[in-house]
Amino acid sequence: MLEVHSIDVYHGDLQALWDVSFHLDEGEIVTLIGANGAGKSTTLETIAGLLAPAKGSVTFDGVRLDEKPSQIIVQLGVCLIPEDRGIFTGMSVLENLELGAFNKRSRKVKDESLKFVYEMFPILKVRSRQVAGTLSGGERSMLAIGRGLMAKPKLLMLDEPSLGLAPLVVKNIFDAIRKINNAGVGILLVEQNLHAALRLAKRAYIIENGRIVQQGEAKSILSDEQVKDAYLGTR
Amino acid sequence: MVIDLLAQTFVNGINVGALYGLAAVGLSLIFGVMKILNIAHGEFLMVGGYIAFWFFTLYGIDPFWGLPLVAIILFLLGAGCYKLLFSGVAKFMEETKIKNSLLVGFGLFLIIPQIARMLWTADERAITPAYSGGSFPILGIRIAYAPLGGIAVALVVILGLHLLLSRTYFGKSVRAASENWKAAKLMGINVDWTFLLTFALGVALAGLAGVLVGLTQVITPAVGMTWTLKALIVIVLAGMGSISGAFLAGLILGVVEAVSAIFMGPYTIALGMVIFLVILMFRPQGLFGKV
Repeated sequence: MLEVHSIDVYHGDLQALWDVSFHLDEGEIVTLIGANGAGKSTTLETIAGLLAPAKGSVTFDGVRLDEKPSQIIVQLGVCLIPEDRGIFTGMSVLENLELGAFNKRSRKVKDESLKFVYEMFPILKVRSRQVAGTLSGGERSMLAIGRGLMAKPKLLMLDEPSLGLAPLVVKNIFDAIRKINNAGVGILLVEQNLHAALRLAKRAYIIENGRIVQQGEAKSILSDEQVKDAYLGTR
Repeated sequence: MVIDLLAQTFVNGINVGALYGLAAVGLSLIFGVMKILNIAHGEFLMVGGYIAFWFFTLYGIDPFWGLPLVAIILFLLGAGCYKLLFSGVAKFMEETKIKNSLLVGFGLFLIIPQIARMLWTADERAITPAYSGGSFPILGIRIAYAPLGGIAVALVVILGLHLLLSRTYFGKSVRAASENWKAAKLMGINVDWTFLLTFALGVALAGLAGVLVGLTQVITPAVGMTWTLKALIVIVLAGMGSISGAFLAGLILGVVEAVSAIFMGPYTIALGMVIFLVILMFRPQGLFGKV
């Protein structure tokens, strides 16, 4: 479904990714693991069309994404929920959700999507008239995910959805991600919370200094001694 | 007698203030959405006034009927200017963007008046339909037809703009792009296109104000900077991001200037600048702005 083929990405003159390749099959949950500054967010932003790769290609359902502007990529069904959530804090919760369904394809089924989102996160319905800037951190995360769902994505990319949240809220968010995946949406997950991410995902890639250094089944990575040492802090 | 004078001055102030408000709204929209400070805003206002003047003198088109035509022409002019001159600036970070947009605007401020001198000479021009000098009395105050029409147009335009921004998908995309352009892109909003349309809309609003200036005052090639300054004062007075606030602040400035002219005479021109400084010093978020 998603095929990233040996991309090099620069921030201005600084190279952030070297020859990164990975793939994600229909309806799969894949997680991207790495330290701060390893290039996880850069990878996601490149797929979403905010950055352009200098070399290599990104293909989704047979279409080259790296040649398309971000609004076409959303239209094709690839949606990124950024690390800072990107909530429009001066607008109401409902307006935020409506903007999620901005592209023509999802605007037609806006009301159905809204019902689906309200079922998943009932608190958003309660808060719908409220200005989004008044929401708590957990509610903002839910709003960001709900707004992503409004776009009717086939592939949802989440950049550290658990960042800065209380454990109970994190559990809610991960339950929601599993539910979304059960509805047939592919998930590309970037997480600091490795245990949770690896338990949720089917496969994982480890990224270090802008390069993919290891890949495999999530289970085997979870039990890999080297990974444990480097990231899980067992020693 | 003094009451009559004050009341009449108040009405005159409202007449001018509606134009200040309308001129400021376009500038505020452009600055609020893309952080481009277009100091050539007044030049576009002047061009709008001259085009309406041409429509009136060459084809006999009433300025009020000319309004939509001028709006369309200025919209296209604004879109062209954005594409050609400002779109390159829009890519920069916020601080660089403001500085560079000032330079581009300053360039336009130098060029457009020269073109206007070629096309319309340096003489004062005014749009003078039959009703332009007419007025009717209410309670001893004279209400002039042309400025009254101007106020009505300004109110309709502001209301329309408010509805456009708050109710339509386009308006929501404009507000989204102004708050967080990166997140707006992730929503599938074509931010470049939204910026282009917003800039063109702001220029069209300047053009509308220009028509009313031509109808109730005069247009000269040098009038642009005066109106840019008035619009800037109004925006600072109102605070950023409030369309109706900008209009209200325009009315306030108009009335304050008119009333103080009774006591201060020619020094009134400095009063606007004093307000500008005092607001920046003591209430930088403006009267209606958020912190």
